[in-house]
Amino acid sequence: MVWNKNSRNTFTPAKKTPPGVPALAEVAVAVTEPRQAKMAGSVLAAAMLLPAIATPAHAQQAPEHAQLSFKLLEYQDYQPNFERTHVRAPSLALVLPVGERWAIDASAVQDSVSGASPRYHTAISGASKQTEMRRAGDIRVTYYGTRSTWALGGALSNENDYRSRSLSLEHRWSTEDNNRSYRLGAALTRDKIGATGNPTLDEERNTTELSAGITQAWTALDLVQLSLSLRHGTGYFSDPYKFPDVRPRTRQQNMLMLQWNHFFEPTQTTLKTSYRWYGDSFGVRAHTFEGQWVQPMGKRFTLTPSLRLYTQRAASFYVDPVPGSEELPPPLPPPGAWPYISADQRLSGFGAYALALKVEWQVSATLLLDLRMEHYAQRGDWRVGGEGSPGLAPFAARHWMLGFNYRF
Amino acid sequence: MRAHSPKEVAEVDFDSEVMGGPAQIRLTGLDRRLLESGAQAAITEIKRIEQAYSRYRHDSIVSRINAAAGTGKALAVDTECASLLDFAQTLYLQSNGLFDITSGVWRRVWDFRTARLPSTQTLAAIKPLVGWDQVAWDGHHIYLPHAGMELDFGGFGKEYAADCAAAVLIRHGIHAGFVNLAGDIRVLGPRLNGKAWQFGIQHPRRNSGLVANVALSHGALATSGDYERFFELDGKRYCHLLNPRSGMPVQHWQSISVRAPLCIAAGAMCTCGMLMGTAGAQWLRDQGASFLAVDPQGQTAMHEWS
Repeated sequence: MVWNKNSRNTFTPAKKTPPGVPALAEVAVAVTEPRQAKMAGSVLAAAMLLPAIATPAHAQQAPEHAQLSFKLLEYQDYQPNFERTHVRAPSLALVLPVGERWAIDASAVQDSVSGASPRYHTAISGASKQTEMRRAGDIRVTYYGTRSTWALGGALSNENDYRSRSLSLEHRWSTEDNNRSYRLGAALTRDKIGATGNPTLDEERNTTELSAGITQAWTALDLVQLSLSLRHGTGYFSDPYKFPDVRPRTRQQNMLMLQWNHFFEPTQTTLKTSYRWYGDSFGVRAHTFEGQWVQPMGKRFTLTPSLRLYTQRAASFYVDPVPGSEELPPPLPPPGAWPYISADQRLSGFGAYALALKVEWQVSATLLLDLRMEHYAQRGDWRVGGEGSPGLAPFAARHWMLGFNYRF
Repeated sequence: MRAHSPKEVAEVDFDSEVMGGPAQIRLTGLDRRLLESGAQAAITEIKRIEQAYSRYRHDSIVSRINAAAGTGKALAVDTECASLLDFAQTLYLQSNGLFDITSGVWRRVWDFRTARLPSTQTLAAIKPLVGWDQVAWDGHHIYLPHAGMELDFGGFGKEYAADCAAAVLIRHGIHAGFVNLAGDIRVLGPRLNGKAWQFGIQHPRRNSGLVANVALSHGALATSGDYERFFELDGKRYCHLLNPRSGMPVQHWQSISVRAPLCIAAGAMCTCGMLMGTAGAQWLRDQGASFLAVDPQGQTAMHEWS
């Protein structure tokens, strides 16, 4: 369920169609374990450095404590002179160990989206101000074996015009020296799509996803991870609120991601870097680079600035709106031409950056507070290595998230 | 209200043969199945270490390193093997070169069954093959420069296996019990009633006698002695612990036992103490070790022991 889990944590307010680009997700990678500082003059100190004895580094370990997290996300995006969508999403998550070998984690989120639906060519008149509600939840049961885990999960998401159900299975295992671990996952998702104001629309979409990953402790200070994800979907991919919007009824999405975490011993800093390639059968190609600098400040605070750079090529059937005519639909293709068309800005060609800062405060042994702020901006002409889509106004978004994590 | 039925305390003892000697894993807890699966995993871990580092197995990394000696080809090793080589290097430096994992080749000239002394020539022929200071070790790659040179992790392999087995058990959530690999003992934690485990230390001269009793709730105990393999010739005892520089058996101590948080540290320290002869006691004191040593007259010397 890797894909779904990620999209839950990102800030994609529109949910009618999955974003043309899978959310710019943060895939969690364990922070590289710092090696203990070498102490001179003692056989015992030298023995303490033996990793198999001292730190069972990446052992599959069932959580020992239950944890309850509450997060509040606020999202606001805007275009010049135009405030668009505002999202407020409180979410609750619980991790519950059951016995020595099992754990259940569950989460629930409620989004309320208010404001304009996307500013581009919306077919519903009067829909420029709307409030919507989404309720979503997932549950996952994990079994922790000696060097492996099995996890079975289910997720559902409901809106008045959209319903999604998914089931996933994941297996992880590690080598005996715990220096390498593998992951295999599979997920099935079924979406039901309707449209407010169009009771005849009753469509479905089925998606199968396979993913695999390998994580290697390169040195005591470096961790490298390679992941691959393949997703195949059939059914309705068009946006019922846009006109004209006709997309193919199958979509193949592929993603390859390389991550490298390095721990700097003198400053106790972890640098997390990643590159991700994305390509799909709609013709979208995208590259993402991200860097995060995780800096502990004293015993209680951690500061994490991060920068993400993104560039994408437009879908082959994307049609650019005429500049300055945001309220007008793009011209229809001539008869007999390519049958697909969309002016969805998420399928356009553009470049983007996101700048974020996260502050974590370990208030006590059991309580952790965190605050994260992000500024995101995208423009057609920021696309790297090719022309962007010129017909779109610059787009920016800000969000902040307040989190409260309690361990018991 | 129904009264809680107290779960029965299970105490299980697993005995097997690994690393050429007896292995005993004794565990107590409330869930017998957990103890059994933990013990199984611990034994698997011990066998893994034996497979990886035994010089008797031709597929072990140690055998591959030895086979590449003198060929000009350095071998890359994994993180665990690297950590053990780093540890061996620290021991070599800390012991002034007396703990040397290249010294195993001296065994070729000592036959404890026929009870014969090697000739000066045979000793001289072996000498160039010994010396960690000759080994090319950069933290990732290792190379033994002379054909015939050998690494031997026997000086701490069993003790390391006891610690790793304990780590596996702790990861299973087992905290009461101990692992005993032929006298190298690592304790996970006291019995469920809080009482320490009792161990006896073999008397170096009386087969069935004990020289001391030790109660341990945590940590490890290891003993090294001149009585494991030896022969006597003209009233002199020649034991299996060999000085890496001369190839001759160590003389002074009958046995040394060390208590330490980790078995590999306890084992390494008692071996170093034995190799150093009379100076061993002071070296152990400098290490801050808790030890009991039996001198040539059978008298015991102790430091932070009781």
